[in-house]
Amino acid sequence: MAGELGKYKLCVSARSSDKAILSKSQDGGIVTQLFKFALEEGIIDGAIVAGKGDEPWRPRPFIATTVEELMSASGTKYNISPQVSWIKEATRSYGLDKIGIVGTPCQMQAVRKGQLYPVGLRDVPDCIKLAVGIFCMENFPYQSIVQLVEDHAGMRMDAVKKMEIGKGKFWVYGQRGQVVQLPLKVTHKYEQPGCHVCLDYVANLADVSTGSVGSPDGWSTVFVRTKNGDDIWSKAIAAGCFETKPIEQVKPGLELVTKLATEKISKNQKTVEERAKFGVSKGLRNPYLGPK
Amino acid sequence: MSKIVEISPTTRHEGHSKLVLKVDDAGIVERGDWLSITPVRGVEKLAIGKTMDQVPKIASRVCGICPIAHTLAGVESMEASIRCEIPKDAKLLRIILQSANRLHSHALHNILTLPDMYLPGTDTKINPFTPQEPVRSVAKRIQRLREIGQTIGQIAGGEAIHPSNPRVGGMYKACTPQAKNKMYDLAKEGLTLAHEQMDFMIAILRNFQKRDWAEVAGKQIPIPKKLGYHNQGYMASHPLYGSSSLDSNPGWDPQRWTDVRPWDWYMGEGEVSLADPSYPVGGTSPVGTKVNPQMEACTGVPLYDGAPVEVGPRARLVKFKNFDEKGTIGQQVARQMEYTDSVYSILNALDEYNPNGKILADHIPQGDGSLGWAANEAPRGTDVHLAKVKDGRVLYYEMLVPTTWNFPTCSQALAGAPWQLAEIVVRGYDPCVSCATHMIVIDEDKKIVAQKLIQ
Repeated sequence: MAGELGKYKLCVSARSSDKAILSKSQDGGIVTQLFKFALEEGIIDGAIVAGKGDEPWRPRPFIATTVEELMSASGTKYNISPQVSWIKEATRSYGLDKIGIVGTPCQMQAVRKGQLYPVGLRDVPDCIKLAVGIFCMENFPYQSIVQLVEDHAGMRMDAVKKMEIGKGKFWVYGQRGQVVQLPLKVTHKYEQPGCHVCLDYVANLADVSTGSVGSPDGWSTVFVRTKNGDDIWSKAIAAGCFETKPIEQVKPGLELVTKLATEKISKNQKTVEERAKFGVSKGLRNPYLGPK
Repeated sequence: MSKIVEISPTTRHEGHSKLVLKVDDAGIVERGDWLSITPVRGVEKLAIGKTMDQVPKIASRVCGICPIAHTLAGVESMEASIRCEIPKDAKLLRIILQSANRLHSHALHNILTLPDMYLPGTDTKINPFTPQEPVRSVAKRIQRLREIGQTIGQIAGGEAIHPSNPRVGGMYKACTPQAKNKMYDLAKEGLTLAHEQMDFMIAILRNFQKRDWAEVAGKQIPIPKKLGYHNQGYMASHPLYGSSSLDSNPGWDPQRWTDVRPWDWYMGEGEVSLADPSYPVGGTSPVGTKVNPQMEACTGVPLYDGAPVEVGPRARLVKFKNFDEKGTIGQQVARQMEYTDSVYSILNALDEYNPNGKILADHIPQGDGSLGWAANEAPRGTDVHLAKVKDGRVLYYEMLVPTTWNFPTCSQALAGAPWQLAEIVVRGYDPCVSCATHMIVIDEDKKIVAQKLIQ
């Protein structure tokens, strides 16, 4: 199986069987549960996750070595978290031998590229034991999120309970119970421009990739891609970490994932092509192709 | 009548150097000149005007074998100039880094020097894939020791080569308890291996000492009993770590240091009159080759109390532990004796290290331009960096690198040896030539009298 969804061995709709995780997670709690299982089983001895930063809803990557630390990082924060910046430090002053990392498709590309050409990453490639990718249409700088929440949604950043993108809307849930939905048309201009050349929606290079799209509320779609990912996933299933449903039996199913992936790729492909003609007789390079 | 032999380049050490030897009819060296022909880098010039945080990082790039020593000496010379004391836990991390560097560097030297000694199967190189024992297990042990040293170094220092963690005022990152445990486990494993390797190496070296001849290019070359003897003094600042101008009792004195220009020290123009095409590797320079060590040497000649001195493992052991064995083998034995010391010092430092402790000084002064120096006991000897920092910028920077001190001393130690064994004497110093290449010459009145090659 290939194409816009990348290569994968298995695709299911799943959610964590742990109520505590589900109560704090964005959707099915896949990332938190998978890392928790890997930590407890010794498959990894630490995971690079997006925790709480100095400002509300600003993620700060950190290395979680306990389940409590992992739990503190659950939930999606819709702006940039430089996960890969910690990958070397994890093997240095943290002394980790087996690292887990979660990230967006571009971050998975960076991780794999670093493993292939470990320039400045001496002794790091072999330490990466579990790379979990999350579906990503585009990302926002922190300032954009502040503007969307405070100006468009009219809410204070630190009074927000949850943010979500789904059903064609950007949802902001306040702690007092108010819900604001912004049409995605409004959010487009706040997107990070660099995202518009990305041709990967479902983290094709991760061991396991996951996201809410395609599954019912409270569930996540999971692609198990690599042999390593498959090993860990099947162990987690055997240990009863997840409830799963065949993806064919859930609504909206893979059809929607494929539709959104195709949309992202064809839209961004246009940007890539436009950029090639940008400027006078010297366009910007297609990041997916090597220099000529 | 004496003849001139030239071995260029010398092999199995870091950098690019050559030997010009005046030998008698029996092939015994009357006068030996060992000189660096690695081009001058000019790091001292590059440093001027840069910030005090940048310069130690630039300085460490002078070499890939002992960048840890250069980083530490560089950082500490800045701290000495601005008079900044670092917290205890930062110092402990630096001690771990320093010892880890010594562990892997000494192991590397074993690979370079073992083919000179008598060990079946190592005639040309130490090969971990050979089916022959004991070479195979020795090579694997050396590899593992190096791996342990480098891994501990990269945990404590951020990177095993060009460490990123040391900074002016302390360290950037503290090690977590988990990292501390990992280092401890590695050091425990390394301790057993270090004991084994030390015993093995000393046995090999003693065996060489008892032999009457060594085989070079198929010929039996007699080994003199006084191979590598010299009458120069020793210089060491500390048994393990180093010293700086901030110490109440500094281990080094800049007032006792002067320089001589190479053209006042080395042999003048000459012509090769003895050649041996079978000498490994590729033969010596052919008869008729012009040599001119005076002008070819790329180092100044530093003197301590007006004479060349030896630095390195033996100097440390002589100065601080009453070691008294002379010659090349004595020097090599001293190096092996440092194996276990370096692992014990890692373990002791880890015992004391507190992962939650402070690693950065509260206040980092920006400097008033006064001279500070720091001597670091690198694997190869005392590595002194001198600096003047004013308002956070470097006004003056100087590196006095171990092998620079050893060049003139080793040249004297060559006399009396058959010329075929000259390289064995050179390798005994574990030379690291490329970082030794500097050219600022300072006379008795502390005036710079030559900057010939870097102007």
